[in-house]
Amino acid sequence: MLNIDVSYQWFNKHGVDFKANYQAQLSSGLTTLLGASGEGKSTLLHLVGGFLQGTGCIRYQSQELMALAPDQRPVTTLFQSDNLFPQLSVWQNVGLGLATNLKLSPVQKKAVFWALERTQLTKMQDKKPEALSGGQAQRVAIARAIARAVVEQEEEKKSILLLDEPFSALDPSLRAQMLMLVAELTQQLALTTLIVSHLPDEAKMVGGSVLLIEQGGVALHDDVSILEQAENIPALTRYLNL
Amino acid sequence: MRLGFFGSIFFIKMLPAILIILLFSVVGVASFTALLLFQDLSNWYQVLSSRYIWRLLNFSLWQALLSSALSLLIAIPVTSALMHRRFKGRDFLLQLFSISLVVPTIVAILGIVLVYGRSGWVTGVTGVELPLYGLFGILLAHVFFNMPLVVRILIQAHSLIPAGQWRLSYQLGFSRWDLFRWVEWPYMRKALPGAFLLVFMLCFSSFAVVLTLGGGPKSSTLEVAIYQALRYEFDIAKASVLSLLQVFVCTLVAFLVYRFASAYRQDFSLKQLDSFPVKDSLKARCFDLGFLCLALLILLPPFIAILTPIFTPLFITTLWQENTWLALWVSIKIAFPSAALSLMIAMAFVVLARACMDRPNWSWLPNKLEYMGGMILILPSLVMATGLFLLLRNLGIAAFELAYWVVVWVNAIMALPFVLRVILPTFYQQEKRYRNLYQSLGVRGFARFRLEWPMVRQAVAQACAYALLLSLGDMSVIALFGSQGLTSLPLYLFQLIGSYRIEQGACIAVLLVLLCFVLFSLCTRVIGGKSNA
Repeated sequence: MLNIDVSYQWFNKHGVDFKANYQAQLSSGLTTLLGASGEGKSTLLHLVGGFLQGTGCIRYQSQELMALAPDQRPVTTLFQSDNLFPQLSVWQNVGLGLATNLKLSPVQKKAVFWALERTQLTKMQDKKPEALSGGQAQRVAIARAIARAVVEQEEEKKSILLLDEPFSALDPSLRAQMLMLVAELTQQLALTTLIVSHLPDEAKMVGGSVLLIEQGGVALHDDVSILEQAENIPALTRYLNL
Repeated sequence: MRLGFFGSIFFIKMLPAILIILLFSVVGVASFTALLLFQDLSNWYQVLSSRYIWRLLNFSLWQALLSSALSLLIAIPVTSALMHRRFKGRDFLLQLFSISLVVPTIVAILGIVLVYGRSGWVTGVTGVELPLYGLFGILLAHVFFNMPLVVRILIQAHSLIPAGQWRLSYQLGFSRWDLFRWVEWPYMRKALPGAFLLVFMLCFSSFAVVLTLGGGPKSSTLEVAIYQALRYEFDIAKASVLSLLQVFVCTLVAFLVYRFASAYRQDFSLKQLDSFPVKDSLKARCFDLGFLCLALLILLPPFIAILTPIFTPLFITTLWQENTWLALWVSIKIAFPSAALSLMIAMAFVVLARACMDRPNWSWLPNKLEYMGGMILILPSLVMATGLFLLLRNLGIAAFELAYWVVVWVNAIMALPFVLRVILPTFYQQEKRYRNLYQSLGVRGFARFRLEWPMVRQAVAQACAYALLLSLGDMSVIALFGSQGLTSLPLYLFQLIGSYRIEQGACIAVLLVLLCFVLFSLCTRVIGGKSNA
């Protein structure tokens, strides 16, 4: 269970510019974050990932995350771009998620091989990211995330996976494939996965629950089936412009 | 009516530019031919069979290799530390790095002599006499000049690292060493072959440093040997063989490094991101602090040393000597025409290149012109001067009578690569962005110049300042062609160091630095516009 109760403020030269306050309880499985641009979807992800420092508390499996640095949190974030080091090979890129000096223990090595196999990248493990297609490159980032998750699982810990629209540059069929892969892995590894999306159809496709973000707050948190009756929910009619 | 190329309006409009470039090329080719014509197989045999030449070549290569390796080795951790740490005095350190790039060679040499020389600070404080004259002094001076240059190049390479990589490193919890190994090193490595080439060439053809600090035939280089052959032995055959040998080695090194250097590639990042902190440790802090201190220790003392004589009575007496003012006048008399000439040739390049940019048959020319400008770096100024000397001699003109013009010309050509590097990109960009606009409005000639001037004046000012500073600091051509009536400040300073009148020399050094500073600010104010000063 991921408990979020956190605020964040932007400042401009006149003082507080914009204030966000998120409250939510997320169970493991998939949650899709919907909302118009600029409403604060990515901000929530960056707070959980540790790239922004807010106030309040973020608790996961009764562990307080706020005081931890990003690499110490049981969290992996996939960004829209720049998830890989172009100067390093696929294998190195994945391995760095487990040990920053790339001296991997046998367990860690096994995790890397498993993750590469699971994302169908085994044949490309010695290639540089520039030799990969956009979809393959994002699969490397997924491989790194699940390699971390599977090692934590060995220690009976669970992981959070945050996806900040990492597939938005891919064409629709490839995007669907990647989302299905994420959904499968989420189930297999019992991850708590948050996906930022601007397409309600994607939420319907992967299932789980939806979180509607509006003006820096949670406007709605419900099962994905709520989207079928959107016309009855004011927050959703505003968002979908019904 | 169709006119051929030579009758076309394009050709007529470009005529002044073409004539200037033609003059530049003809003089260049003719001097080189003069060098070649002087060759005789027996000459080569004679020179190549002497053991002295091989020792010379050996030492030249060895000291250049050591100097560039040392400069690179120190510059890499210094750059990394500079880019990571934000501390008080960081800006000062960066300033110091750029000053040591433009300070006249002979002035810095004097600073080094004042600090490390026989009666210098180090000996005064510790009592240990350092073997300054020889390899040690040469290496010290070369690192002093070239380490900041490499840092500058590496900082540029470092800033190509996409911002996303810092975020990713933060997410993965990289330590200082991890960050260097996985992120910084791969990017800096790409710039290293180019930086090595540049420093190697500069050190291989280093003249003033070796002449003053070499301390004898045991540690002499080709460049100094050319000078001695021409100036003292008057052995033109030997000088021309040595010159060709020099050009050959420089070309070979350039070829090798370009061959093995990996091309730059800019990885793009979608968003500009904030900076993310790196896991720090005591070891990392000590490491960074150590290298920053080392850089400071190499760079700072010579600067302070040359500024100390301001408060001595000798400074005033030296100021009132006639020789001082004569040298100052000669320096100015050389610097201004040579800067003007350099700018004129560069503008001819720009005009021609721009005119060719939108002509499909000629669009290859701009790149070639840029390349040609850069090629000059392979030719050491002494070699160029030797060629010119031989050319004038072949034409039946006594070169020493035209010494002044030879010095002005060679200085102008030497500054050309730097001038071109500053102004070409700016003018190219103006052409690419606004060509259609100017054409559609029919803005041409002077009207266009007036509209463009505010956009390009800063680059022109910088180019002009470079050209002025380079010829003000020149110590090689003037050493060859200087005479009683033609002694510039650097040459005068060299003579003073040679006769161990170091304190008096320090006064001249201060004067020279002051002159550089005044002319530099004049350039940025008058040409560059007040707001940019």
